[in-house]
Amino acid sequence: MKSHFLFPYWCRYLGWGLVILHVPLSLLGHAHGMTNIMDSQPAGTGPFTGEHMFFICTSLMMVAGLFLVAFAKEKVEDEQIWHIRLDSLRWAIYVNYLILITSLVFIEDVGHMLELNLWVPLIFFIVRFRWVIFRLNRSAREE
Amino acid sequence: MKNNIRVERAIKNITQADLAEQVGVSRQTINTIESNRYVPSTVLALKIARVFGKPLEAVFMLEDED
Repeated sequence: MKSHFLFPYWCRYLGWGLVILHVPLSLLGHAHGMTNIMDSQPAGTGPFTGEHMFFICTSLMMVAGLFLVAFAKEKVEDEQIWHIRLDSLRWAIYVNYLILITSLVFIEDVGHMLELNLWVPLIFFIVRFRWVIFRLNRSAREE
Repeated sequence: MKNNIRVERAIKNITQADLAEQVGVSRQTINTIESNRYVPSTVLALKIARVFGKPLEAVFMLEDED
């Protein structure tokens, strides 16, 4: 089956690498007094200030990692995997918009809402997708 | 939609993994099709029927609720 717009299988490992790498970088940044621009308005003006670079190195690295994990091909990318992928994506969008709309109504902190919006769909998609594949493999093993 | 892939496999003496390899899907997909938990696309159904050398409707059958 032709699977367009998916990263090669090995990108999954690169993605997890980026997600893991973002943890020590964040801790190191926080230890040196850096704050995420989503937590507070940057002191400097314009892009590529210290805090903007910190944001790129941490939050964006994590999101890029999650993106690679979510959209890397499976070993056998067949039509059932494609079906599970689409179904998980649909659920991720539902959950994301449910959280987004609830936050818009009850929370005024727009910075954190954006941060939430960056991660929630990808994390929910990955968890749901992997969970369904895990159940599929388990039931196949049992028979 | 039900199917008799399991019977056809037994006649041809091939495993789920063999069939999966011949039609280019994973073994899990064949397993879910066999147990009626996944309805394959027309293309995949035709490929499976071709492996058994039978017409599509000899392998896949519509049920009353379909």
